[in-house]
Amino acid sequence: MFKVVSEITGAESIAQGRGLRDRARLVKFYGRAKWRKRRGFADITLDNGETLRAELHWYEATGVGKKEMKIKRLLPERK
Amino acid sequence: MAKTRRTLVICVSNDGYVASLERRKIYESIPDAAAAKRGLLRIVDESGEDYLYSAEMFVEASLPTSVRRAVMEAA
Repeated sequence: MFKVVSEITGAESIAQGRGLRDRARLVKFYGRAKWRKRRGFADITLDNGETLRAELHWYEATGVGKKEMKIKRLLPERK
Repeated sequence: MAKTRRTLVICVSNDGYVASLERRKIYESIPDAAAAKRGLLRIVDESGEDYLYSAEMFVEASLPTSVRRAVMEAA
């Protein structure tokens, strides 16, 4: 669907533990861990070849790494 | 004619997103013109938040009005 082609900047945790609505699904598919939902910004290249800046969200746990990098929104081009 | 109504779609592929999407499940698609022209759909996924996914992961759910209304009210 897309590839992250730049460093992720502004990474921060936005939800964790019981604050994660889909925590049970994360545990079911990826294992028991201290899951956090994080967000950040990066350049991405879509399947159509277009490169854009986007806000990304993903799940992360120590020892597991990043899972399910998702596009929250595409950012307007800087002029 | 611009679409402003949320539509219902069925997930047919959840590769890479097994926690966020479930195959054969009905999801709400929120209109997003900028996303649509790039082959993406804005979907309210299992997290309860909306994200952009490839349109190829979904098919439109053509449901009778009464069924559509029941599904939307069940959310």
